[in-house]
Amino acid sequence: MRLEVALGGLRLKNPLIAASGTFGYGVEYEGILDLSILGGIVSKGLYLEPRDGCAVPRIVETPSGLLNAIGLQGVGIRAFVKDVLPRLARYDTAVIVNVCGDTVEEYAEVARIADAPGVAGLEVNISCPNVKKGGMAFGGDPRMTHEVVSAVRRATRLPVIPKLSPNVADVTVFARVCEEAGADALSCINTLLGLAIDVERRVPRLAFGTGGLSGPAIRPIAVRMAWQAARAVRIPVIGVGGITGVEDALEFLIAGCRAVQIGTANFVDPGIYTRILDGLAAYLERHRLESVEEVVGTLRFAEAEEPGGPRS
Amino acid sequence: MGIIRGPAVSSASMATTTATSPPVNRDVPLVRRVALGGPYVLLTFRHPEVAEGARAGQFVMIKASTVSDPILRRPFSIMSVDPREGAFTLFLKVVGPGSRALAELRPDEEAGCLGPLGRPFTPPPEGHEAVCVAGGYGIAPFVLFGDELRRAGRRARVFYGGRSAADLQLRDPFAALEAPLACATDDGTFGHRGRVTEAVDAYLATRPGPVTLYACGPDAMLHAVAHLAEQRGLPAQVSLDPWMGCGLGTCLGCVVRIRRANETRAKYRCACTEGPVFDARDVVWA
Repeated sequence: MRLEVALGGLRLKNPLIAASGTFGYGVEYEGILDLSILGGIVSKGLYLEPRDGCAVPRIVETPSGLLNAIGLQGVGIRAFVKDVLPRLARYDTAVIVNVCGDTVEEYAEVARIADAPGVAGLEVNISCPNVKKGGMAFGGDPRMTHEVVSAVRRATRLPVIPKLSPNVADVTVFARVCEEAGADALSCINTLLGLAIDVERRVPRLAFGTGGLSGPAIRPIAVRMAWQAARAVRIPVIGVGGITGVEDALEFLIAGCRAVQIGTANFVDPGIYTRILDGLAAYLERHRLESVEEVVGTLRFAEAEEPGGPRS
Repeated sequence: MGIIRGPAVSSASMATTTATSPPVNRDVPLVRRVALGGPYVLLTFRHPEVAEGARAGQFVMIKASTVSDPILRRPFSIMSVDPREGAFTLFLKVVGPGSRALAELRPDEEAGCLGPLGRPFTPPPEGHEAVCVAGGYGIAPFVLFGDELRRAGRRARVFYGGRSAADLQLRDPFAALEAPLACATDDGTFGHRGRVTEAVDAYLATRPGPVTLYACGPDAMLHAVAHLAEQRGLPAQVSLDPWMGCGLGTCLGCVVRIRRANETRAKYRCACTEGPVFDARDVVWA
């Protein structure tokens, strides 16, 4: 029984990846779980310089969800390469750097520095809703998306994985733009833009105002968008959004994703990787499948015609 | 010893590491539930590593496995430990759906639990009296602290404040710990009528000798204790309680503004990994 997956130039030992912003730099979980059981780890978003992030409150819980505006607090790419990468080297897992920038040039420069021994791929953050510049502003505009992804593409030989925003009318437009710009895979999706209000004080419950919604509340939207993206492009799609157990992960795989990312659930139970890996193995056995790749894209519709139009 | 903490990548923050046991993530069965008055309850869970390794001021992230929503675990101070039983006890006030689900667990039902977490209280220097100031459910860590001090042949002095007598539900353990306890209520139904910090101030005015202050409770009370400490030139350790997501320094939701003595500007630091206990002088109060 094989849990390995091929993913746009990457080979992952299994399809489970820790999502950016929910797993720190990986080293925070040393001693709590064996990082080598993960297929991969995506770092917290990294700019050229360290960043303070947003004022507090930064997180608030909503029904089955978590609304956050952290604002990409981080140590900067140089500190990551110098201090964190050597510590991650002892683990057998794919280290993926989440690349951020206020400008196209900054994305490219971060990507150049991130292209270091021990880094397996670069995720391009064009979808963070909690920063004033960059982030979603780039990922919500097809021309800017093309520009950023192309710039990162030119800056590295590593696999380039743009992380798409769900805060667009048609995710397939952005999926195709990324593919044209030379992306090797896509992460789909980042958080949904949300707003929670303190009705007594009549102010937003987050200091930043709006925030990004994650957790089980967004899962059906994420599955739908990952499914749309996977049909729209030839490059592989990594599904992310609200996974809390093996069935959730399977939904994304069946919808056409070759791997999945675990996000908010990392905060809830660091034991989730073991649980899902055991569950995947049991599922493969129960369905008499040799490899998890046999599950990918096996969604069947009862109707003769699939909704959402023909495949491209 | 000790896991590498969240802020390990910012070297400046590692200066004051305290040796603690590494946290362990487990499903923990409820051993015992003791209802106290009103919304207060004592919950004992089996978790050998917390029972063995927890120190006063540390906490667990915990959530009843019986519920999926709200999704996050909640931080609770460890009130006491029993290494022989392999269990720890929380003093919990039901304030919302997360705490309610915990309080409604029946014996052998499980909670997901990670701990022990955070930096504990540092015992006072030799010759100092530990004066502990608690507001409401902030009393919990001082039971374990009183126990630690007593085992070291010392004792804590505890000031316990709340809105009303009904909010002072955790008084009994301090008698067993031979820790003098003074209470204060806003409505005067028990102990001093008024703020607990007024009672502390009155005690300090008697010039009791060298004192280190410890505080756990609402922000306004912590701020008042910090102010008191500054006025009287006393060291103070405060346990902060911001909204917390993960307990490991990865969600960055629980950051507080901290400026250490050697720093030119305040930095956001995770209360979960660099706290919850901070030197009161370093806290930049909102």
